[in-house]
Amino acid sequence: MASSRWAAFTKALNDFYAGPYRQTLARAQRDEDDHFMLVVLAESLGVPDPAAYYTAELLPAVYEDFHEWHQRAGMPRSPLDHIACC
Amino acid sequence: MLLNAIDDRRAVFVGGKGGVGKTSIGSALALASARRGSRVLVVSTDPAHNLGHLWQRAVGDEVTTLWDGSGRVDGVEIDPARTVDAHLAAVSDTMTRLLPEHLHRAARDHLDSARDAPGTHESAVLERVAETLETGLDRYDLVIFDTAPSGHTLHLLAMPERMTGWTEKLLANRDRSERFAAAYGALGGIKDTSDRDAELRRMLLRRRARFSLMRDVLADPRRAGFLLVTVAEPMPLAESREVTTQLRNLDLDLIGVVANRLSPADLMPARRRREEELLADLELGAPLTRIPLVDELIGLPALDALAGVLGP
Repeated sequence: MASSRWAAFTKALNDFYAGPYRQTLARAQRDEDDHFMLVVLAESLGVPDPAAYYTAELLPAVYEDFHEWHQRAGMPRSPLDHIACC
Repeated sequence: MLLNAIDDRRAVFVGGKGGVGKTSIGSALALASARRGSRVLVVSTDPAHNLGHLWQRAVGDEVTTLWDGSGRVDGVEIDPARTVDAHLAAVSDTMTRLLPEHLHRAARDHLDSARDAPGTHESAVLERVAETLETGLDRYDLVIFDTAPSGHTLHLLAMPERMTGWTEKLLANRDRSERFAAAYGALGGIKDTSDRDAELRRMLLRRRARFSLMRDVLADPRRAGFLLVTVAEPMPLAESREVTTQLRNLDLDLIGVVANRLSPADLMPARRRREEELLADLELGAPLTRIPLVDELIGLPALDALAGVLGP
């Protein structure tokens, strides 16, 4: 019993100190990923993409992040007519 | 002799203005080299393919043998539309496998927008050229690219460098993202993106390998070079000067210049004199080879005659 309370205590302590950094790192990663998403979706968003042939093959890997991406980008509904994720 | 000049090269791009005889010079060169025992692959990248007409047989997107003797000449006419179809079909398969049913149609529509994107056709040509170059260097002694008219080809040749840069930028983005993810995980973060990250990295690395191989081969004068074909008339010669300047910017070595279809001096002395005057002013910094006009240039006998002039 005492040991689990000790574990809970160290976890809380850890969260208290590491939490803010963790959040910063998560946000930094998300910024990079958002940028990547923009590159992959350029052609569909109306920005001519001369490399569309190559970005197309990256699409399957990022597709599941699409919904969160457009919500974060300030668009409550999907900006692409044919992707009805919500 | 022109054939000696390219002897040790592995990849030769034959280019010039439209209609100056790139296909016949490229094929004659291939035949001359094959008669000496080499295995040669001729690759037509011009959407208006002429290889089949010249050799009088059907050539397509699959490799076809054009001549078999002491050496061999194989030919292929690149079909970018087929490459785009195959590529997008493969991506579509992956998407169908990964995505839930109700997103399948959306994914297909999305890929259709990639199909119609302006650069897609060029990317497919680049992809096939890079691919044939890779297999060609592996299985043949010499790969001759019979290219589209100058503008298209110069653009195509600039793409490996540009696309290597493009993949490198995306890879740098992935590096940063993965570093942040690792640090986030080390601090007890729970969202795991490692599968997706590994997949993206794998695809980008594969692309970069292909682009950079082509870029490196093009920039290596021991392995690759450009053969500029022209006719002795003012406009094609002006364009040849332009092409030479751009090749220098691209770092692609100019092996030689072919003045094709020179008028016979006995029948048209005045015209031939004028052609020689024009050629005398041409300073392109590479040896000039003169090729006389060959009547009805079609089929093996004509190619053999032309091959004889290029290298006995």
